[in-house]
Amino acid sequence: MKNIAVTGIGIVASPGVSKEEFWQNIKAGKSFISPITRFDASNYLSQVAGQIENLNTNHLPRRLLKKMDRFSVMALTATEEALKDAFLDLTQEDPYKIGIFTGNALGGWLYAETELRDLYVEGREGVSPYLASAWFPAAPQGQISIYYGIKGYSKTVVADKASALMAIGYAAQVIGHKKIDVALAGGTEAPVTPYALLCCSTEGSISRRPYRPFDKERNGFVIGEGAGILVLEDVEHALKRGINIYGFIKGYGSFCDGVDRIMPDPNGKGLAKAIKAALDTAGYEPEEIDYICADGVGTKWGDISETRAIKEVFGSYAKKIPVSAPKSMFGHLLGASGAVDLIITFLAMQDGVIPPTINYQTQDPECDLDYVPNKCRLKEVKKALVISRGRGGINAVLAVERR
Amino acid sequence: MENIEKRIKELFVKLFDMKPEEVTLKANLNDDLGMDSTEMVELIVALEKEFKIGIEDGEITNKHCVSDVVRIVEDKLKQ
Repeated sequence: MKNIAVTGIGIVASPGVSKEEFWQNIKAGKSFISPITRFDASNYLSQVAGQIENLNTNHLPRRLLKKMDRFSVMALTATEEALKDAFLDLTQEDPYKIGIFTGNALGGWLYAETELRDLYVEGREGVSPYLASAWFPAAPQGQISIYYGIKGYSKTVVADKASALMAIGYAAQVIGHKKIDVALAGGTEAPVTPYALLCCSTEGSISRRPYRPFDKERNGFVIGEGAGILVLEDVEHALKRGINIYGFIKGYGSFCDGVDRIMPDPNGKGLAKAIKAALDTAGYEPEEIDYICADGVGTKWGDISETRAIKEVFGSYAKKIPVSAPKSMFGHLLGASGAVDLIITFLAMQDGVIPPTINYQTQDPECDLDYVPNKCRLKEVKKALVISRGRGGINAVLAVERR
Repeated sequence: MENIEKRIKELFVKLFDMKPEEVTLKANLNDDLGMDSTEMVELIVALEKEFKIGIEDGEITNKHCVSDVVRIVEDKLKQ
């Protein structure tokens, strides 16, 4: 696979709404899970979430804000941060050579829920005309494109929790094929709404207790909201601009399990194939990997199958690789999770700090890797993998490298 | 009738966060005020509620100016 440079990072999540604040809090290994206050969650299995309390929307006109669900607002905010971070002035670029690749799993559910309520209570006159363009999964892509005048090859990826990582993998391939020079790629998710939380609960993978991936006492994940956008560039384009390069996307692999509509293949065969494909396209030997940012969904078979897949690919070296699930700190961002994990991985490589898996207490004999429990670790990371998985056996893996 | 013009202009300001000085009688809804089709739906529903009138599809479009909107509403109120 052709080298794709990462030159900008924009993050909006409960640990921080800027790169600096976010990364400080991740390194500190703090929990950002708090009781849900936006609606009465007392009858839900899980009553906590990773929520953003200080989302600043002052830069967006009110006329635009009322047409968007929170997932689009967060995507626009993260995009603005990413563009600033990359020192990318879009007015100086060919708009047809820039693309947008966003992933999400749920769409704009808060907008949809409230307007559907109005439809049933008040009839069609009660429904906002903006519902049609606010709720659907490609709304963030559309809003980013309109706001910045971006007109190049773009795509929204909906693949459950693997959406964002697949969107980034896809973006890298489109740049590799020279269809565009620059991609704004990542994901956004706003699941802290009554219906979205209900869907996560009925799926059976949501935790009633703290989110503790790979721990013997784990019983699922906790939801979190946020968005992560990265600026991906053709290497020559980035070098010509002479800006900071965080690192490179080198390899991508994706395979399906084809086993169950919710559960993964218990042996993680599809994931193992995806890991191998990411390593192969990057041209890496397994022993070169210094860190794996895990999916760590926190379900019994999610974590066991992920551990088995890593062991199948890495053999005896598997236990020597730090494998952590930083989403234990801020919740599972579902369709946005892969973007946030990739951002964390680039920051980890930049600073030589591996983020921890928090809430880890009891070892599970079936999950016996080095999960970097509870505290971050200083370690040089040159090459890393990011794993993202969705229901129905979706597996996606990116191989990345520090500059 | 001056009152109707004032109420309509206020609706534009309230619904679309426009500056009062932008909403002139000559302002074209699309070219000058940047209104898209979904905003037209919101405007028409708001006009129907405000003036208790019925507006058919295509009677007011974003090709019109603010003065056209005022005239159409005034005509309906006279009927």
